[in-house]
Amino acid sequence: MLSSLIRRRWPLPLGAALLIVVVLGGALVASGDQGDDTLVVYNGRSHYGDEAAFLEFQRRTGIDVELRGGTAPELYERLRREGEDTPADLLVTTDLANLWRAEESGLLRDASSEALRAQVPERLHDDQGAWWAISARIRTPVVSTERVEPGAVTGYADLGDPRLKGRTCLRTSNSEYNQSLVADMIAKRGPQATEALLRSWMANDPDIINSDGEMLGAIAGGDCDVGLANHYYLGRTLKDDPDFPVAPAWAEQDGAGAHANVSGVGMVRWSDMEDEALALMEFLTARGAQAEITSRSEFAANPAVPPAQHIRAWADVKIDPIAVEEAGPLLDDAVMLMQEVGWR
Amino acid sequence: MALGVPRRSGADRRGGPPGRLPGAARRGRVGRVPGWTIVGVLVAFVVAGPLVALPASFVSSGEALDQIAASLLPSALANSVLLAVGVGAGTLVLGGGLAVLVSFYDFPGRRWLDWALVLPMAMPAYVLVFVALGQYGSANPLQTSLFGGGLALPDPRGPGGAIVVLSAVLYPYVYVLGRSAFLGQSRQAMEAARSLGRTYGQAVRGVALPLARPALAGGAALAVMEALADFGAVNLLGFETLTSAIYRVWYGAFDQAAALQLATVLVGLALTMVALERLLRGRARYHQALARGDAVTPLRLKGGARWLAPVVPCLLLGAIFAVPVAQLVAWSAETLVEGTLGSDLAGAALNTLLLAVVAAAIAVVTSTVVAYGQRARPSRVGRISARLAAVGYAVPGTVIAVAVYVPLVWLDRRLGDAAGGLFGVDVGLLFTGTILGLVVAYVVRFHALAFFAVEARMGRISPSLDDAARALGADRARVLADVHVPLLWPGVLTAALLVVVEVMKELPATALLRPLGGDTLAITVWEATKDSRFDVAALPALGIVAVSLVPVILLVRLSRRDGWSAAGAQGSTPSGG
Repeated sequence: MLSSLIRRRWPLPLGAALLIVVVLGGALVASGDQGDDTLVVYNGRSHYGDEAAFLEFQRRTGIDVELRGGTAPELYERLRREGEDTPADLLVTTDLANLWRAEESGLLRDASSEALRAQVPERLHDDQGAWWAISARIRTPVVSTERVEPGAVTGYADLGDPRLKGRTCLRTSNSEYNQSLVADMIAKRGPQATEALLRSWMANDPDIINSDGEMLGAIAGGDCDVGLANHYYLGRTLKDDPDFPVAPAWAEQDGAGAHANVSGVGMVRWSDMEDEALALMEFLTARGAQAEITSRSEFAANPAVPPAQHIRAWADVKIDPIAVEEAGPLLDDAVMLMQEVGWR
Repeated sequence: MALGVPRRSGADRRGGPPGRLPGAARRGRVGRVPGWTIVGVLVAFVVAGPLVALPASFVSSGEALDQIAASLLPSALANSVLLAVGVGAGTLVLGGGLAVLVSFYDFPGRRWLDWALVLPMAMPAYVLVFVALGQYGSANPLQTSLFGGGLALPDPRGPGGAIVVLSAVLYPYVYVLGRSAFLGQSRQAMEAARSLGRTYGQAVRGVALPLARPALAGGAALAVMEALADFGAVNLLGFETLTSAIYRVWYGAFDQAAALQLATVLVGLALTMVALERLLRGRARYHQALARGDAVTPLRLKGGARWLAPVVPCLLLGAIFAVPVAQLVAWSAETLVEGTLGSDLAGAALNTLLLAVVAAAIAVVTSTVVAYGQRARPSRVGRISARLAAVGYAVPGTVIAVAVYVPLVWLDRRLGDAAGGLFGVDVGLLFTGTILGLVVAYVVRFHALAFFAVEARMGRISPSLDDAARALGADRARVLADVHVPLLWPGVLTAALLVVVEVMKELPATALLRPLGGDTLAITVWEATKDSRFDVAALPALGIVAVSLVPVILLVRLSRRDGWSAAGAQGSTPSGG
């Protein structure tokens, strides 16, 4: 059949037909996704299990939600390039710096409501409403309970302690968590002090590891003794295995507190579903969804929702929230600095 | 590109008078616009054109080298070179040694091992890495499935791990080409060496190995090319080569000019390898004109050696293939039982298949048109553009993504403006917002693969068939449709199959260009692995391995029918990660 189709002047008709089909198909895909009644969320939160809250929203309101995943930098780059053509209505990121970056590039719009203000405390949202926190996470040293004395690690500087030479591990400098932490340090400690700190970390010749989860495995497996991770990775692992031989070493408890970042949401400037998008933002910060989030060991943005039972003791940890207005503009400097000191 | 088909008069199209002589047809061609050449040039332009963006980045950015690119380049380049040297040496030792063992010695299981040793080709490096990482992290709660947490493995992270893993999956290039070279060697050379008092082993070392040197080195060059292009494995192992530096510059510093500059350096390295391989393979062919009966008869091993010989290859295959696959199965079973499967796996499989089929269809059309154009109207321009269009094969996926992206963004804007201005429709981002951009990248990368397969098949169609059809009055297009296409089907199918498999495995370009939301199997594996969710990555990884086995099995069957020399010619396919 095909050969009779192309019998005469094939490449011309076949090539043309193919091209048209592909282009039309592509256009369909493009426009289909921009369908008027689907709320498109660029979702930087890890895919595994986080959909529950969004699905629940969809079930309750009848509004279709489409999640499109990627890392925060990927989502930001995508949004920036698509500009007014973007199908996205909401941007959800795992760290505040990337939300700030999106806001600064004019990709977000202010959105606010009575419910949002009631559910999210003052310091966890932008004054104008460009971004709202969904959850808080602490990035702190974690240590082996078998090979590190309790109290031996009390701050970020200890990762550069010569006594720990060859015993530390760090996640790659590609990680947005590390980038935000370094930017926040530059903002609060100044560039020289931060560079000195990072150089001391590098002088300990750390193992560079891909993910926080893998790092916990490396510590438990004896590959290294001290790492730097977000608290909920450890929380999840301890929930499954209370005897897991890694413990948090909360940083700077006698000083500023442990660095805390925020996973948050902002409305995309070109969203044509403002009301639905706002409804989803409210839903994500309301009790139900927040409880769902804390069940996976994060701290809720909504103060009415306590931490999960197995990490309730961690609720009293002194935290030092990221100073996003100052740290945001320093993100590029942070990336450069990490490269300069040789953090892979 | 289809518009470049030669325009002919109406009478000519309909076939002309039946009594026309071949000479008349030939004469009629003189002075016409070389339509097929134009088609070839157009395809080359579309396929290789984006790569022009690479060196242009040095011109447009003004400075010699972007600051970020300059700060990353030295270590990334050094690491890439280290990887190249390590994998070159590793594949030579592994692939060459195994080829010698199987070619010159007979032992139990030799026939079986002869083809089984090609299987690691079906294991994408990033899959092997994540299995290794999953085994290594003893804290991984799922680790218990196979080893019960008892087996201590060395830390796979860093340069050593990257070299070992990539050598383990890439040695078949050397093995296949080495096998085909050894089979092509004459028995007389070995016998002459023996008659001069050399032992069998000395004759192998002193005569057979040097004779096969070009083929072995050619295989190693291919392996090195793959290693340079690798993105997934080095990334997961925390070893920053040029490919991961490109990604970091793009998505860490959002500096596309710098990414293009790094990509240019990488392409330079890769093209050096192509040149090397071409040079060496050209010489290798010289040694292969042999009648079958003249080949060396392998020496039957005796005593302990007889039973020791199969042990090493079996252990190797176990470590590279059997154990990882078993672990993947165990993990998959666990996720299925516990219901902790990653989201929307069926959707990812469907996306993957759709992308693969669309890319394969386009690549098959472009490659058939170019191959036929070269045959119908041989010309220097045609030959050069066919070569040019095949360059994508040597270009790492990361580079293709960066190179394709820049012109497509530009095109999207223009198309958007035009569609808005002319028809008042909002087409959105036609290429970069949809799978189209990704399809373009795949075609750029894999057109060559399809082209080689189609061209090889077309070479077996006698030119006298063309002449006969032409003499009977068929025009060029009709010759292609009625004579070539029916005879070409096996080649076209092979081409399509190769492209489908490569697209399914492809990671870097997919990671960089995918439209958000439509994840593929490779992306699912990648994202889950980055999160250390090895259990979630297992089932899609298993799917990728299963699909990748198809061309390997074809290769094995080909080798059993026609010997390794035919397989060697087909064996040089780029792989995904």
